[in-house]
Amino acid sequence: MLSFKLSRYLRHWPAFLVWCLAWCLMFLLDPHLDLANLSMILILAASVASLWLAPHVSMLVSAFAILAFNWIFVPPRGTFSVDLRQHAMLLATALAVSWIVALLMALQRTYASRAELHARQVEQLRSLSEALRDAEDPIQQATRLQDFLTALIDAPVKLLLATQDAKTASFIGEVNVDERSGLWLSLRQAQAFGPGCGRHEELDVWYLPLRGRSASYGAALLSLNRSLNLALRLPHSFPPSALNIIRQQAQALCDQFGLALERAITQRQANEARSDAQEQKLRNTLLTAISHDYRTPLATIMGAASSLHDQESRLSVGQRQQLATTIVDEVGQLSRITDNILQLARLDAPGLQLQSDWESAEEIVGAVIRRMRQRNPALPLRSQIDPSVQLLYCDALLMVQLLDNLIDNACRYSQTTAPIEIVVRQAEKHIMLAVRDRGVGVPVDWRERIFDAFQSAATVSQADAWREPGTQRRGAGVGLAVCRAIAIAHGGTLNLRVRQNGGASFECHLPFVVPPVTALEE
Amino acid sequence: MTLGVLLVEDDREFRTMLREALTVEGYRVMTAASLSEARAMLIHIRPDAVIDLLVLDLGLPDGDGAELLSLIRKDHAMPVLVISARQSDGLKIHLLDAGADDYLVKPFSIGELLARMRVALRHRGAHLKAAVTRYAHGGLLIDLAAHRLSLNNKNLHLTPTEFKLLARLVRNAGQVVTHRQLLLDVWGVEFSEHTHYLRLFMGQLRAKLEANPADPQLLLTEPGIGYRLAEPTD
Repeated sequence: MLSFKLSRYLRHWPAFLVWCLAWCLMFLLDPHLDLANLSMILILAASVASLWLAPHVSMLVSAFAILAFNWIFVPPRGTFSVDLRQHAMLLATALAVSWIVALLMALQRTYASRAELHARQVEQLRSLSEALRDAEDPIQQATRLQDFLTALIDAPVKLLLATQDAKTASFIGEVNVDERSGLWLSLRQAQAFGPGCGRHEELDVWYLPLRGRSASYGAALLSLNRSLNLALRLPHSFPPSALNIIRQQAQALCDQFGLALERAITQRQANEARSDAQEQKLRNTLLTAISHDYRTPLATIMGAASSLHDQESRLSVGQRQQLATTIVDEVGQLSRITDNILQLARLDAPGLQLQSDWESAEEIVGAVIRRMRQRNPALPLRSQIDPSVQLLYCDALLMVQLLDNLIDNACRYSQTTAPIEIVVRQAEKHIMLAVRDRGVGVPVDWRERIFDAFQSAATVSQADAWREPGTQRRGAGVGLAVCRAIAIAHGGTLNLRVRQNGGASFECHLPFVVPPVTALEE
Repeated sequence: MTLGVLLVEDDREFRTMLREALTVEGYRVMTAASLSEARAMLIHIRPDAVIDLLVLDLGLPDGDGAELLSLIRKDHAMPVLVISARQSDGLKIHLLDAGADDYLVKPFSIGELLARMRVALRHRGAHLKAAVTRYAHGGLLIDLAAHRLSLNNKNLHLTPTEFKLLARLVRNAGQVVTHRQLLLDVWGVEFSEHTHYLRLFMGQLRAKLEANPADPQLLLTEPGIGYRLAEPTD
């Protein structure tokens, strides 16, 4: 405490020095200068000393100095009386000038300290905002807010912060029951309580809400008992508002944090909503696909199997054979639908890894044709593979599934007599795989929508409506959507082109990757 | 003497169905519902219950089929057929590379299963007996020993690598041979990842042997797994 006082006095030593110098000078020059000139030294000293002195001290010191000057130098010397009116005028002017300088100096100092305070506050806000910007979760920065507030009021600070889901909140610091309810109240009402806040002025603490744009996301508890002393350290020209300044700064820090919390929570909710929507979409697709595509084959299998089971003795060998064939065919269909639905879910999942390798288009087409023939030997399939086609870098199983679905689709939409062509062509930047039919084609407004798996059952049955009567009404479901998902997973595209003389050409363009060189023999 | 089949499958319905179907075909069928049960049966094979073929379903409750395969390959020469629930199953390829004879993906028809079993049994002990050296399919005749090849009675010239590749497939005619096995046996261990070699040489073989290379009847592709030479027709 002593050292504190000492240091306060030591701060004034330049002023003391100035006065000493001035008096020495005045005594030295007294024989050579007239009174008016001497008084100039006095005014100069008063002005310079006021740089280091508080305004009231400065004014008091100058007043004493002028009295002393009067005693020492103004004739009659050794008295306070003044003979000449002009000397009285001189003294009065000297006093007035030194007082005005002291006051101006004080004003200047207030402005300067206010500017400094302002700069400090801005710096605090900036540094908090930077910390919050860099933080993934603002709650991790809660201790920083706590530190800033603690520095501001020089007393412990407790916080209540809403957690990421905005439904619960957690306390930082030990809080008692009153503090707990105060913090909650402040959070819920987005209201500050305490001295100067307009509500609960009788408290010796502040409850400050952490406000976002639309609501409050937490509250801070600041104790004031010690900070009142601190307030006195602020420039004396505005002591009543000193607390207000601290509170406003604390509120600004709190609000900044509140905004960051709000932003994080909103962001998280948006992400959740998006992934929910995506999940919902996928679930709907799967449900639609299952309810639409599974029922018919299941019903057929059930019918055939139960007929074999219940009517066995009354069925002819041919009929039994027919029913068994139906079951085998339908199970094949069901199995394909299942593969497609599973593949769609797999392709839709994040972090998909393709099992890509160098593949030959000829082999893939060959495998698909063989598979289709096993299913339906009468199928009119024709393949045209450009001899210049290079190796493909792709997932063979997915590529087989893509062609399989496209051919299956073509069979379903075209009369069985017209051939279905599988065309593979090499271009500079891509390899095109196309499946072409001479079927009924696709109406204009369905040309994009057929690739969309996310259809409700209602639109799926609408999709059935434009098919030619007599063609199979089955499993529009997810087949084309899977094809497009496969193309996209390979960095390619799948589109429908309408053929000039009727029919459709589904064309998959895969990016061409230059295969490694192979040493060939003669 | 009837042939014995050990069927390792955990699903009761599926196991019962397969057992019935195989019994009808004249096989003597033993079943195991888990790996441990199968292991016990393999360790204590009774003389009156010899196992000639193992049908192994992957995805058993008590572990990896690879363990069982290594046990079998250590003490027995019986062929192993792998049944997998998924088209793209890493374990299935792993087992084929490790010496399983063939695979089937669920769902499959009994006809397919019986065909694969017949091929596997025909190759039974192939490494003990003199290796298969003659192959005939349609107009194609291959005599590995004489290094001779003819298509529709006309001699056909193959490059050494093409011949080695074809010979490897002939030795396992009717069975799948994985990419890795072919690369290892034909090119050597440092080429085991060079699938592009395989593609190009298979393309050349198809161009020489197939009537329509884009619709092969002989050199069949098993996408993502390997190749299969069609079963001989004589």
